[in-house]
Amino acid sequence: MREKTGMKIAVIVLCIFMVFALSGCLGGREINDLEIVIGIGVDKDEKTGNVLVTAQIVRKQAAGSSPGSDGGGDEKAFWNVSSVGGSIFEAVRQMTHKTGNRLFVSHNQVVIFGNDVAAEGLQSYIDFFLRAREMRPTVLILVAEGRASDVMDAKPETEKFPAMNIAKLVKTYGFTSHLYKVNMKDFASCLMSATTASFAPLISVTEDEGSKDVYVPGMAVFKNGKMVGKLNHDEVRGVLWVLGKVKSGVITVPSPDGKGKAVLEILETKSKAMPEIKDGKIIIHVMVEEDLSLSEQTTAENLATVSAFGEIQDASEEVVRQEIMAAFKKTSELKADIFGFGEMLHKKYSKEWKSMKDNWDDIYPTIELDIVVASRVVTSNLLRNPPSPKEGDK
Amino acid sequence: MIFLLLIYALIFVITAPGLIKRKEWREFAAFLVVYAIAFALGLMYVLGIPIPSPMRGLQYLISDKLGLKYPQK
Amino acid sequence: MNIEKGKISSSQILFLLAGFVQGSVLLIDFTVGITQQQTWMVILAGLVITAPFILSYVALAKRFNGMNLVQINDMVYGRFLGKVLSAYYIFFLSMTLSFNILDIGELYVNFLMPDTPFIFLLAVFATVCAYAASKGIEALARVSHLFVVTEIFIIVSTFILLIDQMDFSNFLPLFELPFIKIFQGIHILSAIPYGETLVFLMIMGRLNNTGRMVKYTFGGLLIGAMSLFIVSIRNTAILGKTQTIWTSASFQSIRLIDIGTVLTRMDFLIGVAQTVLIFFKCSLFFYALVTALSQLFGLKSYLPLILPLAGIEVILAATVFQSPVDHAMITQNAGIIYSAPLMYVFPPLTLLIAKIRNLPGQERGGGR
Repeated sequence: MREKTGMKIAVIVLCIFMVFALSGCLGGREINDLEIVIGIGVDKDEKTGNVLVTAQIVRKQAAGSSPGSDGGGDEKAFWNVSSVGGSIFEAVRQMTHKTGNRLFVSHNQVVIFGNDVAAEGLQSYIDFFLRAREMRPTVLILVAEGRASDVMDAKPETEKFPAMNIAKLVKTYGFTSHLYKVNMKDFASCLMSATTASFAPLISVTEDEGSKDVYVPGMAVFKNGKMVGKLNHDEVRGVLWVLGKVKSGVITVPSPDGKGKAVLEILETKSKAMPEIKDGKIIIHVMVEEDLSLSEQTTAENLATVSAFGEIQDASEEVVRQEIMAAFKKTSELKADIFGFGEMLHKKYSKEWKSMKDNWDDIYPTIELDIVVASRVVTSNLLRNPPSPKEGDK
Repeated sequence: MIFLLLIYALIFVITAPGLIKRKEWREFAAFLVVYAIAFALGLMYVLGIPIPSPMRGLQYLISDKLGLKYPQK
Repeated sequence: MNIEKGKISSSQILFLLAGFVQGSVLLIDFTVGITQQQTWMVILAGLVITAPFILSYVALAKRFNGMNLVQINDMVYGRFLGKVLSAYYIFFLSMTLSFNILDIGELYVNFLMPDTPFIFLLAVFATVCAYAASKGIEALARVSHLFVVTEIFIIVSTFILLIDQMDFSNFLPLFELPFIKIFQGIHILSAIPYGETLVFLMIMGRLNNTGRMVKYTFGGLLIGAMSLFIVSIRNTAILGKTQTIWTSASFQSIRLIDIGTVLTRMDFLIGVAQTVLIFFKCSLFFYALVTALSQLFGLKSYLPLILPLAGIEVILAATVFQSPVDHAMITQNAGIIYSAPLMYVFPPLTLLIAKIRNLPGQERGGGR
């Protein structure tokens, strides 16, 4: 009997205790208290030389309203807060002076580094974005051509938030393959490599009758985290050809009769790059295969013939070759191994690699590229012949 | 502190009466020994007295004295 | 003579072992910093090297049918030396149990529930494990099927979801690292997932049929090792060079799952899987520890010691290391060295002495 009551009391006390100990965690935050951040910009503060962090926060009421009502009023659905600190983490925490709640960065889409920060070197700024618990490694990284805070202010036409708009711009790189999507993990991976240079999309703002538009003019090239140069659209595509990441795009070649242009859409590509060391010289064999479609032609002559296709194919192969060589030339000047040739050699020839690793900067421009392109025009879309007088007369 | 006392009281109440009732003295003795050690450790933790860690002792013996360790990078 | 009345079947030993080895999935992060892209090799090598020793555990259990480790030690080494050896084993069990509890605490504090007081987490977790151990090995064996299947499902599905982000050239160059690092990696891996299975020396006595024990033991071991292997392949293929900088590589791999904007943020999967498996591992450790200690004291039942031991383990877990960095360094060095004799030297030695002295001899119908 005594034992039974003893046990009963013990069980009751235990249950009460468990209610306190097990009902959820202490780290819970209510949605109203969250400052949801969707974009972060990092600049250098002109006055003090410290870090200026701009966070784009979602404004709750405006975000909840339907998209249609957005066009009428000028109410911004977002809020760009900035704060200055000695380091990124400090600046982020200091923001609570203005926002009252800690920033909730798990939904962050992009991190934009200002031009001055990129030129100084991202190594000292990137640690926070990888180490912080709430940050995700899938965040996209970009470099602004001016100040990141300006880019984040540009209100887009079809999206409510500039940060989402920018993320969308980068994610849809496949349409032109003139830029490439780089997330934090990829960037960190390149930083950790002794030889590979990393790149990130550039973003800039143009003013057009009072409304600002953001667009991506190319990509920035980094060496050891410092921005050393830029690649324009064609050069970027040259890099992507070698990496095998071209999804779609437009190639324009002069038409065989010389009177106009043939415009081709890239449908599918495959590429392989293999390193080889022959007689002390490094050769990289690049093989590219592409399927094209004839999307537009400006001459009256019918290009949908076997011979014309043959000439168009040769011409487009030449275009691809030019793009790759242009990319290689630019990066040779910058001594930045964007293609990852160093790592390719590392994987295949690890013994020779050890001796080459340290003067890779000098060895890289001496690499010989052996480019073989095979293109195929597979369709001429809806027209068999162009609408021109010659055809009509028949 | 309160939690510590509560938990240990609970442990005692759950196990001890059964043992005494069934006159399992040997078990009760072993229980008391382990219980005392646990309570002492818990008390030291709550009061902030540093508890010597056995692994540090082992580390000292094995790695520093005998030198058996792998090269650090 | 037996502390506990429960009996387990042969197929259950398979799942118990598989679940136990799978529980170490996050622990391969200890070696990733050392063996980088060659971790997969080390996992396989560890399996091959430890297999003969595990065979000796099975042979011991078969020979001394129905007896657990402490009883075997008493018989083979005599009452005094046997008890000293058993005390060494008990020390190892209690230390390793506190490491495992610490691991789950670190997982929660780092990733899942950062603000909850550490000691509370440990205490709650230890209490549940103690409760599970008190229900006996039969109960644990019955749930082991579920845990193992769940974990396999999670490992395979995360692998498949990440296939498009994988880059298999990350495994080259194949033989880059100096041999001493590979050796350390193999040592760590054979000690932590595989060597800890000496816990089963306390459990194998409970088998009701020792006929196909070898087959089932190795089956379980193989399932566990394959799980570790798949996880390390997944991590290396996805993270490549960055594998070594993360505190937990598996966690970061899963964070990268991003399919069609719907399947994102799957971090909870790893939380669930790990909690379940480390709970399983700790319950088994608890069971082994308490039965060993009770056997040493010559008690009739192991139940009274469970709760105070849980108290000791919690405090140990909270205080034994000062920080995760400490934890990693000590485990990679002294930790595996002091436990090496227990895993590699004593069981075969015990077997040898038993054979020489022809133990257990006439009674019990032998183990052959």
